[in-house]
Amino acid sequence: METILASAAHLIEIKLLLAALAGVAWGILGGALPGISPSITMALLLPFTYTLEPGAAIVLLASTYIGAEYGGSVPAILIRTPGTNAAAAAVLDGYEMNLQGKPGLALGISLYSGVVGSLFGLAMLILLSGPLASVALAFTPPAYFALGVLGLSVIATLSGESLVKGFIAALLGLMVATIGTDPVAGSNRFTFGSPDLLSGIAPVMIMVGLFAMSELLVQAGSKRSSEKAAIRTRLQFPGLKLAKRIAFPQALGCIIGTFEGAMPGAGGTVASFMSYNEARRWSRHPEEFGKGSPEGIAAPESANNAVAETALIPLLAFGIPGSNSTAILLGGFLIHGIRPGPMLFQRSADVVYSLYAGLFTAAIALLFIGIALLPLCIWLVNRPHYYLSAFIYALILSGIYSIHNSLFDLGVMITAGVIGYFMKMFRFPFLPAVLGLVLGYLMESNLRRSLVLSGDDLGIFIDDRISLFLLSLALLFVAGSLGRRFFTFFKQRKFSAESAKTEGK
Amino acid sequence: MAGGLLTLLLGSVYLYFAYKIRPSALADTMGAGGVPRVYGWLLVGLSVLLICRSLYEYWRNADRKAMTMEWKGQGIKTLKAAGLLCFGIAYLLIVDSLGYLLSIALLLIGVAIYRGAPIGARLVITGIGGAISLWIIFAVVLGVHMPPGVLETLGL
Repeated sequence: METILASAAHLIEIKLLLAALAGVAWGILGGALPGISPSITMALLLPFTYTLEPGAAIVLLASTYIGAEYGGSVPAILIRTPGTNAAAAAVLDGYEMNLQGKPGLALGISLYSGVVGSLFGLAMLILLSGPLASVALAFTPPAYFALGVLGLSVIATLSGESLVKGFIAALLGLMVATIGTDPVAGSNRFTFGSPDLLSGIAPVMIMVGLFAMSELLVQAGSKRSSEKAAIRTRLQFPGLKLAKRIAFPQALGCIIGTFEGAMPGAGGTVASFMSYNEARRWSRHPEEFGKGSPEGIAAPESANNAVAETALIPLLAFGIPGSNSTAILLGGFLIHGIRPGPMLFQRSADVVYSLYAGLFTAAIALLFIGIALLPLCIWLVNRPHYYLSAFIYALILSGIYSIHNSLFDLGVMITAGVIGYFMKMFRFPFLPAVLGLVLGYLMESNLRRSLVLSGDDLGIFIDDRISLFLLSLALLFVAGSLGRRFFTFFKQRKFSAESAKTEGK
Repeated sequence: MAGGLLTLLLGSVYLYFAYKIRPSALADTMGAGGVPRVYGWLLVGLSVLLICRSLYEYWRNADRKAMTMEWKGQGIKTLKAAGLLCFGIAYLLIVDSLGYLLSIALLLIGVAIYRGAPIGARLVITGIGGAISLWIIFAVVLGVHMPPGVLETLGL
């Protein structure tokens, strides 16, 4: 109750409200563009947040995430091309509804479900993040180090197809974090005499390079769909009868979205497809799924918007971003010198309450801005891809330059873009690298601080109960992932051997 | 395997420079170079593991045609990406001398042509209009000092 009252006080702050509205609008437009994920949409905004107050900056980024999760469903429904990965589930029934002459209703169900998911997710965020952060107050330097190890282990095991690649990506991020000055003695490391590298590499350059720049480079070699969206599509909200019918799939989506959002590494895509499957399993009309079922739109859309809120739980409570988008949000916090995690609720509670108020505004504003921006979304979706690519490229270069007026920053961002391109080509996941980058300094300083406290005795990480628990969890995750992969490997081998025998007969 | 080789090279170079970090009298036992060395060795070890795994999969996998097909066309895609990258590098080189407005307009027009835009009045108008919009957003609204370049004489 105290949290709700404290957050409500921020609802009258004009800057926050404007940031929420601007974020939702930008997110919807960005999410509507195929190939521009929520994380890229947020990354493009990062340079702009330097000039804002911390509360407004964080609200702007978080609202963008909410807007983008809905925005992705616009092209999914209209031209069978999801604007975001999480909107892929909306294609299954949304596009079918479009073909049946009901695109407005499909979009209306998507928007309405998105708002429901957002509000539910926000309630869960407020309920869960504070208590979890109180637990984390007992953290000591060994526990902080162990938390970093756990975060990296979880993300490395859950991101991408290969455990080894996940850990390599995490190491790349950790290595970039060592550039600059050492956290204990202040010695220069990997600066090669360059004054620009003395203060290290700001995560924002790497994030924009990895997410936005590399995507541009990938799109340079890909073909684009030439399907156009109908210009005269109008949003139509479900009537009372239809709203009752989709209430249960929305509830399923909200619950699954909450669980998946709070789990690091899971994310909107997993949540939306799981919700779709469960909604079909429990539906009275499962035969309609895949043929324009309103439940098939409601469930995934409420799930991915619930994820947009609850993905903030591990970030706010532990400082561990569980997805690419919350990693960008972490970048936004760091730009303003705020470190999410256990101390956030003690040192910067105001920023948290501003965030809650902003997210509430964003969830409500999503409804109105979604209606208002639909014609613009359709216009954007129909723009030739060459103009969009050129404009995004120009925006990235301008945005990064605007941070420190430095061409060196542009060079760093472009280099990160090239590295990101090759990472995509060789299927190395981004999230562990970003996590390594933002956690590297924290992990190293707490590791070395712990060793100083213990007189170089590594037993401190076992003697500290929280550290032991977290390190054991990390080991469990890694062992479990390895075990699962070996099991799948031997099962496939056995299946191949049996198939070869059967064919031989 | 190519990814493994690249990361092995990166790890080796990183390790080389990690061993060159000068110890400080104020440092703890681990020192400034301690953690980087751990990272470097871990990267080298994991890269070797990745290479070995790739070799094993190639040796074990009967469907090598599918594996080769997966990389088909990648060379051309990489060349196209490199081409797009050149626009960014060119922008870096010219922005200080030509100025933000001109450079970004050239970037917009150049990238649009590169990505397939037909050459015509629409392209030029879009390029110039886009450049002016971005200049208004950054220089006027956000107050960022963008390089004036040759347009400095015009007060821009």
